[in-house]
Formats: sequence, C-alpha cells, structure tokens
Amino acid sequence: MRIFNRIVVILLLAGLVYLGIATVVYIFEMGPYELEDLSNALGFGGLYEGLNGYVGNIESGNIDALDVIVLSAITLLGLVLFILELKPPTPRRVRMQRGTYITRRAVEREVSPLVEQEPEVLQSNVKVKAQRRPGAKVQVGASIRPGEDARSVQSEVQSRVQQQMAETGVPVSDLRVRANESDPRQTKTRVK
Amino acid sequence: MDNYLQLARAAAEAALATEGVYSLGTGRYVEAATYGPGEKVTGVVVGPDEVRVHIVVSYPPPEPIPALAERVRERAALRSGGRAMTVVVEDLEVVRDENL
Repeated sequence: MRIFNRIVVILLLAGLVYLGIATVVYIFEMGPYELEDLSNALGFGGLYEGLNGYVGNIESGNIDALDVIVLSAITLLGLVLFILELKPPTPRRVRMQRGTYITRRAVEREVSPLVEQEPEVLQSNVKVKAQRRPGAKVQVGASIRPGEDARSVQSEVQSRVQQQMAETGVPVSDLRVRANESDPRQTKTRVK
Repeated sequence: MDNYLQLARAAAEAALATEGVYSLGTGRYVEAATYGPGEKVTGVVVGPDEVRVHIVVSYPPPEPIPALAERVRERAALRSGGRAMTVVVEDLEVVRDENL
C-alpha cells in the first residue's frame, strides 16, 4: 500500500504543479490567455459536460446495467483501499521478545542452508515475512527432481527446520513447505 | 550531540563485550549509525527516546538467539541513559571453531 500511495501522491502532486503553473500563466495574462479559457485549454470543458450529463442521468434514475456495475466496482475498490489503508503496516523485522528483533534476511540465511542439507533438495527458495505478533512467517519452496516423493521431502524439511529453529530460538510462528518438481538443468545444484 | 555519541559508544562497547556477538551491524538500506561532528558510531542509533543496537551474531550462537539478544539489551540498557533499548539481530556470521 505504501508504494501505491506514493504513486498516487506523486501523480496528484504533478497534476497540482501543472495546474498551478497554468493558473499563474492565465492569471497574469502572459500571452493571449484569459482565465475563463483555462478549463477549455486544460481539456476539462468536454469532461465537465460529460460529467454533468452523467450525474444528471444518475439523479433521474436513467442508468443502464453497465453503469451500475462500474459504480459498484468503484465503490468496492474504494472500500478495499480504505480498509487496506486503515490496516497497520507489516513490520519490517521479526519480533522475538520485547525490544529484541531479528531481520528477515538473518532468518532466511538461517533457514536456507537447512533446507538445502536435505539430499533430495536441489534448490531452495525461502521467503520470510515479519508479523505484528512475535515470530516469523516462513514459506519454503524446495526444488526436487521429477519423480521424487514430494510429501516425504516436505515433512523432512519441515521437521528439520522446526528442530533447528527451536534450537537457535528463532521464533517461527508459521512454517509452510512446498516441494516443487523442477528440471535439474535449471536449478542451482544438479546432482547431490 | 556529544551526549548522543557517548551513549552510542557505551552501548556499542556493551554489545561487543557480550559473548556471541560477532560484530555490530551496519544496517541494510539505511546506515545504522549515530553521527557527530567529525565522527560516527556505526551499529548504534541513538534517538531522543530510543537506543537501537544492531548486532551480528556468531554462528553457532552460544545460546538461543532471543536469549542472547535479551542479554545484549539488558547490558546496553544500563548505559542507555533511560531511553528505551531495542536490539536488532541483523545477520549471522559463521565462525570457525578454533579447536579444529
């Protein structure tokens, strides 16, 4: 949401700057301009008329099904964005105890070698997310050869990571392991 | 500002003196440091209300990482001048066993 907000704010500010410059140019009549022509010069004339007609149609109840769908979608989008905006941001670091944190990268560096210790795993892909509560959400993708027993690899990796994390004390509140069959020619390790 | 630097130095010393701390972290996207005239202390960020210490832990750690971080926090908090103390484990550094 932060990136989305930033893009929206940048576009809004760029629009305001453009509008401000245009207004100054028109106010001081730099050139053959009149302030009343500004809306037409910016291309708002047609927009105003179209908007007037559209709102008039809505007020008189003269709208078709497509308009209802579009307006509902806009309302829904607004509601979703509003709720996302109200949600507190996800923390950047994984909380361990009160006042102590570990970075996501450190957790990744801890988990990744453990996964790759498994003989069947050719490559690992570890994603760590911090949560508002203590503990990290860890998603492990393990690449295995086609034909390997994915379930047994998953359970092996799961128990190995859980055990090691318990030993080092790195709190993992949610661990998900997925074994994907991959072409060994495209993985980091071909043979173990 | 001098006070900030003194606090940062004291917190850095306390953290580095803790067994299991390999070094102080430097931050990833933004440098974690306290700046003063002609000097900076890397690894400790002193603010008006908070002192944040970034550490790199030796691997394997001598004790569970949360306990180690808590110990660093307790030690550094004694020199934080009443500010809230936060410890961030930034990375792990594999240390060779000297007995091998």
